[in-house]
Amino acid sequence: MAVSPIGAMMSAATTAIPGAPVPGTQGVGAGTAATQGAGGGSGDFGNVVVNALQGMQDTQNNANSLAVQAATGDLTDVHNYTIAATEASLQTELTVAVRDRAVQAFNQIMAMQI
Amino acid sequence: MAIFPVFQTVSSALTTNRVWMDAIADNLANVNTIRPYDQPAFQARFVQAQELPSNPGDPIGVGGGVTTASIQYGDATGIQRYEPGNPMANKDGYVRSPNIDMGQNMTDLIIAQRAYQLNLAVIDRASESYKQAIQINGK
Repeated sequence: MAVSPIGAMMSAATTAIPGAPVPGTQGVGAGTAATQGAGGGSGDFGNVVVNALQGMQDTQNNANSLAVQAATGDLTDVHNYTIAATEASLQTELTVAVRDRAVQAFNQIMAMQI
Repeated sequence: MAIFPVFQTVSSALTTNRVWMDAIADNLANVNTIRPYDQPAFQARFVQAQELPSNPGDPIGVGGGVTTASIQYGDATGIQRYEPGNPMANKDGYVRSPNIDMGQNMTDLIIAQRAYQLNLAVIDRASESYKQAIQINGK
C-alpha cells in the first residue's frame, strides 16, 4: 500500500518524457511491442508507462480508501475491500512485469557486441 | 478498472447475494412479529435481481454483472391467529402474524450462500489465471 513510491516513479517518468527522446528509449519501446499495443498505440513507451502507473495509482487509492472504511466501520461489503486489494496487487504485479521486460530488453541491447 | 473486468462483475454478484441474505435474515428475524388485527401484517421481503449492461468498451457484449432492481413486499394479510390473551388482539381475539415460509427462507438462504461462495470461487480462478498470464515467459 505504499503509494508514495509510485508517485515518485510517475513524476520521474513524466519529467523524462518531454523534449528530445533519451537515447535508448526508442530501443526499449521497440523491444516490448506488446506493451505498445496495450497502450493503444498512443506513441512512446514513456507515455504507456505513465498511463499504466496512473491506472495503478487509481486502483491503489480505491483500495486504500476502502481499507480506511473497513477500519472505521463504514464498509458495508467486506468483499469490496478484498477485491479492490486483489485488483491493486494484480495490477502492481502486471506493471512490475512490464517494467522487468522493458529493462531486460534494454539490457540485452546494451550488451550487444559492437 | 478496465484491465480486469471480472472483478467488477463478481463484486456486483457478491453484493446482490449479500443483499439477498440480508433480506432473508430480516424475514427470519421478523417471523414472530405480531401486529394488531386492524393493521397490515409484517410483509416478507423479496429481492428482485436485474442484470447489468456491458462494461464500457466491451466489444463482444458480455454483461456487466447483476444488481438489485427493487425490494418486493409479500403478503400483507398475514396469518390471522387466535390469541385472545394478546393485548393487541381485536374483540374476537385475533392478531396478525406474518405469512413467512420458514422452509422457503432457509432454502433461499442456502442458495444465496452457495451463490456467494461460487462467485468467490470465480474470483479465485480469475486472479489465478491473470497471475499465470503475467508470468508468461518471466524469469
